[in-house]
Amino acid sequence: MITALIADDEAPMRDLLRARLQAVWPELHIVAEAANGVQAVELGEQHKPDIAFLDIRMPGLSGIEAARQLYCHSHIVFATAYDQYALDAFQQGALDYLLKPVTADRLATTCARLRTRLEARPGNPPETGAQDIGQQLAQLTALLENKGQSKPQTGYLRWIQAQVGASLRMVSTREVLFFQSDEKYTRVQTVTAEFLIRKTLKELLDELDPDEFWRIHRSTLVRVDAIAEVARDARGRQMLRLKNYAGPELEVSRNHSYLFQQM
Amino acid sequence: MRASQINHVLDFVREAIKEASKWWWRFFDWVAVVEWRRLFLTWFVVLMCFGVLNTPEPAVWYIFISFAVKVLAGGKRKAELMARDATLQANVATLERRLMEARMVALQAQVEPHFLFNTLALIGQLIETDPPEAARVHAHLIDYLRSTLPQMRARDGGTLGKQVELSRAYLAIMQARMKERLGIKFEVPLFLHSAPFPPMMLQTLIENSIKHGLEPKIEGGTVSVRAQVVGSTLQVEVCDDGVGIDPHADDGIGLANIRERLQLLYGTQAELVIATPPGGGACATIRLPYKMMMEDA
Repeated sequence: MITALIADDEAPMRDLLRARLQAVWPELHIVAEAANGVQAVELGEQHKPDIAFLDIRMPGLSGIEAARQLYCHSHIVFATAYDQYALDAFQQGALDYLLKPVTADRLATTCARLRTRLEARPGNPPETGAQDIGQQLAQLTALLENKGQSKPQTGYLRWIQAQVGASLRMVSTREVLFFQSDEKYTRVQTVTAEFLIRKTLKELLDELDPDEFWRIHRSTLVRVDAIAEVARDARGRQMLRLKNYAGPELEVSRNHSYLFQQM
Repeated sequence: MRASQINHVLDFVREAIKEASKWWWRFFDWVAVVEWRRLFLTWFVVLMCFGVLNTPEPAVWYIFISFAVKVLAGGKRKAELMARDATLQANVATLERRLMEARMVALQAQVEPHFLFNTLALIGQLIETDPPEAARVHAHLIDYLRSTLPQMRARDGGTLGKQVELSRAYLAIMQARMKERLGIKFEVPLFLHSAPFPPMMLQTLIENSIKHGLEPKIEGGTVSVRAQVVGSTLQVEVCDDGVGIDPHADDGIGLANIRERLQLLYGTQAELVIATPPGGGACATIRLPYKMMMEDA
């Protein structure tokens, strides 16, 4: 008997796929249904189904990540409503996929293909081309990560966490005008507020995007986009005026004045 | 000591020179653009004044200098000033264009194709298994699209009530998809429904909560929307008990867009605050100036 697993985080979609499968392939035995990627991998390893129908976007693990752990003993068929990057990739590769909502015609074609493949080697895992499939899945994972569909890991700090009362205020680095070290603390200045954090300027310097923040003084880090203009004051020091900020100008020390050379 | 005193004197002299030159150029600009007729008039007035005081010399100097400026540099300076005005207007035009572009980005962020396709797929599925539910989701989608699209054309946004209504339609659709994984809570007092509130902001915050907070969480969670007046500030809060915020994740175009629009609309009187409460999840709060209204008088 040929077995299958269905994984989709949206219950109505699982119902539809199950109903459609029963219509076009009554002998197919659906052994398990998973509501997220982690569950899909667990159930997949437990039941070792011949076929795994996987939604691409699922909580826990994406369908593609789940597939990387399941493709050795199951044929993988992806299901997606709209994922242009993934679709591009599928059309070039040999992976099976279904567009949601799944139409009976399309499902019948896919099932017919799966049936001939499985009947050619009954009970056998799809060892031919398994390596290709593994490679393709790795490529897909990389592709989707690049397109920002999973979390982009640029590594730079994007949020400053500052304790305000009982809760932790999340200050986007795009809001910050400058950081200034203030004895034990570091002062974080935004247009409307200021916060104190325990991270030192040195630590911030290591974690922030160096293209976003410049060090202009031993004790000051400024966001480049917030700078309105640089002018020399009466004593010849370079002073920075910031956009939307009425506070005092920021001094650029001699060591860092090379940052603001005229072109 | 001495050095610092000299510095002070130098600072003062520099300031004085700066101020004098500022006034001189202001006078220069005025002479350049003023009509000859008016200039004659001021000559007459100045002559009369100083004539009465019996010291006509300053008046003669004034007439001489302004005449010279007008004849020698007036035309050029006038052209320059006109050019500057034109540049300024061009800048305003650029700003307006950028605002429009921001609106377009907001629009694209709202009706993202992924959402639309998934909803249509859901409706297609429900037509077979649960037609009444299909009709409900279909109606919500229509509400959502109808209120999303024309709002982009309205120049000054809608009311909080309108935004809540729009968000409810969106949340109803998401609930049909996520089922028991998505809980919803609204605490918006009726009297605040008529308060002005910029369009698409509540929406963006709710979408962020679901997309980044609840969808990645296996067991899901609840989105709660709360509005209240604190002093003279309208405070609208969108909280979730999802996976929270990764300090290394980009804050995305949506939040930057809200911040930029608040800045354009209210200056420093409005703000968007993101916080992570002790219990986990994330909370986004928009604070705007709130004016008591004369109860629909």
